[in-house]
Amino acid sequence: MVFNSLGFIVFFAVILVLYYGPFLGWVNKKRMLLFSSYVFYGLWNPPLIILLWISTMVDWIAGNKIYHETKPNRRKFWLWVSMVVNLGFLAFFKYGNFLLENFISFVNLAGFSYEPLPMNIILPMGISFYTFQTMSYTIDVYQRKLEPARTFLDFALYVTFFPQLVAGPIVRAGDLITQFYEEKKATVDLFIWGLFLLTLGLFEKIVMADTMFSGAADAVFNADKNLNFWDAWAGVLAFSAQIFFDFAGYSTCAIGISYMLGFTLTDNFLYPYGSIGFSEFWRRWHISLSSWLRDYLYIPLGGNRFGLTRMYVALMLTMLLGGLWHGAAWTFVFWGFLHGTYLIIERILKGRFRFEINWWNGLLLAGLTFILVNFTWVFFRAEDFGTAWNIITAMVTGFGEGEKVLGYFDLTKVFVLSGILFLTHYYMRHHTVRMVTSSAGPWITGIVWATMVFLICISHGQGEQFIYFQF
Amino acid sequence: MSRTDTPLHLQKTLWITILFSLISVVSWEFFWRSRGRIPDLPDDKFLWAQTRAKVENPDASSVVIIGSSRTLFNLQIPEWQKMTGVKPIQLSTAGGNPIPVLEDIIEHTNYAGTLIVGVTPGIFFSKISKDSRSWSRTQKRIDFYHKRTYADRLNHFLSIPLQNNLAFLTASENEWADDIDLKSLLRATKWGVRTGKENDPPFNSFQYLDIDRNTRMSNRCAHDTAFANTVKRVWQSHNKKAKKSPKDEAVLYVSNLVKKFKDRGGNIVFLRSPSTGFYKEQEAKNQPREEFWDVLLEKTGVKGYHYDDYESLKNFDCPEWSHLSGEDADKFTNAFVTLLLKDNVLPQPQNH
Repeated sequence: MVFNSLGFIVFFAVILVLYYGPFLGWVNKKRMLLFSSYVFYGLWNPPLIILLWISTMVDWIAGNKIYHETKPNRRKFWLWVSMVVNLGFLAFFKYGNFLLENFISFVNLAGFSYEPLPMNIILPMGISFYTFQTMSYTIDVYQRKLEPARTFLDFALYVTFFPQLVAGPIVRAGDLITQFYEEKKATVDLFIWGLFLLTLGLFEKIVMADTMFSGAADAVFNADKNLNFWDAWAGVLAFSAQIFFDFAGYSTCAIGISYMLGFTLTDNFLYPYGSIGFSEFWRRWHISLSSWLRDYLYIPLGGNRFGLTRMYVALMLTMLLGGLWHGAAWTFVFWGFLHGTYLIIERILKGRFRFEINWWNGLLLAGLTFILVNFTWVFFRAEDFGTAWNIITAMVTGFGEGEKVLGYFDLTKVFVLSGILFLTHYYMRHHTVRMVTSSAGPWITGIVWATMVFLICISHGQGEQFIYFQF
Repeated sequence: MSRTDTPLHLQKTLWITILFSLISVVSWEFFWRSRGRIPDLPDDKFLWAQTRAKVENPDASSVVIIGSSRTLFNLQIPEWQKMTGVKPIQLSTAGGNPIPVLEDIIEHTNYAGTLIVGVTPGIFFSKISKDSRSWSRTQKRIDFYHKRTYADRLNHFLSIPLQNNLAFLTASENEWADDIDLKSLLRATKWGVRTGKENDPPFNSFQYLDIDRNTRMSNRCAHDTAFANTVKRVWQSHNKKAKKSPKDEAVLYVSNLVKKFKDRGGNIVFLRSPSTGFYKEQEAKNQPREEFWDVLLEKTGVKGYHYDDYESLKNFDCPEWSHLSGEDADKFTNAFVTLLLKDNVLPQPQNH
């Protein structure tokens, strides 16, 4: 089920009635939330709930064993059990086809003819998110940063909590499980604020991502032609905006829905396109993933504790695997490689050039960062390296030549809205939505909110899936 | 987006939002109604899949109609039901080749009732290619049917009453030029000529559809010659590069499927609906009857009804060269079903 659907409105309305009605005690409310979360997931593909159950059971048992076990080898054994099961799921369901394709290419290159039947593996929705979430629980318990969940119900709800189940944020156990221990109820203001964020998230997804930007991005990336300079840039800018609004929209919905139930989820996006440099970009883009990679991959790989060279290697490995996390294709790995390269170059330059950042040179540097990020999105979105290379070539050398696939209105729309997006992000670096709505007052906020509702209603898409569901 | 203690007057904000949301949405609805729009269901993959599901549990007297837009427009379900007592299952797809549906029904169901297969020559006899526009148009719906989730079904079920009552909810996956969802309104905005596509004639919707996928030509298209001419310009634009279809390819493909269907007791009939003007000329040139239609009937051994062969089926006028008006579609259905009953292709109705 997706948030941008009529089914979800009915589903969530029923949950709110049961949650705030006088029918259930706290434990039963949690059971209801757990059951609802399975329904939320199962309405997509019921049998794949079994994977969720297995992941939940394995990490519940592993977490308890690790916590109570005193022998280091036994603790390590249970940690390995958790890692093997979760990473095994990922390896099979997400990377099975990719591994097989690469194996075939390798064998064929070696001169052997080998053509097995395709495996046709279904990618379970959100598997990358919930496996990372459950692994973080087991690792935290292993590192004695966290006590196991008090009850199986609390743990199962942590793994399955429907607002963030299929596309994050990847919530740490310490941030969410403890919220389940005491009865939660949103105040009227928190409930309304959650509703506002839910509307904002749906507006980002339905109006901005699907209506304003997806058409131009699809037209350019599916063109299969040598493109004109302006069309290539418009397509890439459109995809940059689309993926931001799509994913940030999902996270905003998840946070809003959680507020409406009285829970708090961590921020996942903080105006990333206003970032000055790539270190800041990764502190603002998909924060729950970048912090996960930092804590469970970059730091264990040595982080910055063993000199510059080791740090650069750790950084690059982290970004390469981060790229692979997004999708089973070499284009995603190359996307990670570009980000790793940017981060390393930025660290080298930062060591050599030191100057005060003010509003104007900050704007210039943020603009440069935004442009460079756009180059990386080409590899993220393109089906293959050939398509990516065509678009990059047009972005760099296609001025005055190449196929024109977008009309004047679409070009103007994309450039103007992307410009507004960039400037808004730059302005919002030091602000929050709450600060802006507070200074705007109830009338302006109400009219803006109503405008978002109106635009959502007249856009009424067909419940397009969020891009990150496939990751 | 973090929580702070700043006062926001959220309850007042919410009331203002509700007020302005209601005003804007209601005004939008009245605006489009004042422009002559009425609530209508879109002919989309969701409704097609819901209809396709009915083939899974048919009874012996069931009738399934597959074809392109001509069987969609020209065979009227209420008229058919009135005459036979059986409500046919309408699975035709505008612009879509019916062969993938024929294959899907034969290969993936146990259906052994009556299949009415509409033959629009330019589509039916086109090259057998899963990448072709007409093939993939149908295949996408079949794939969606087999992959649709419970969430898809729930969303569609909930959307029906809204679409049946609100005129502004009429977006279609056909992407008509006069669709009024925000994306379509933006798509229709053109500033000068840059890509060349701006010169394509606008393709406006010329039909209404109900929950059974019964489709009727709009009165505007049937009676407003200027509007019908806009549709004619689209047909000319779509078919300016039309060439002669490959011989035997589709016939051979269909013959194998038909044999399998007949072997399990299925009853199958081909129908060639009327066309006029530009389409009639194109079809005579690119898919001459003796080389295509006659060969199809001969190779498959199936009963076929060509409009030119029956007094009651010919002499209909197609306002935009390809489809019948609602009134004529009723008459055409009546005449066609009368022939089917007379030829014992359909069982005689119990209560008639």
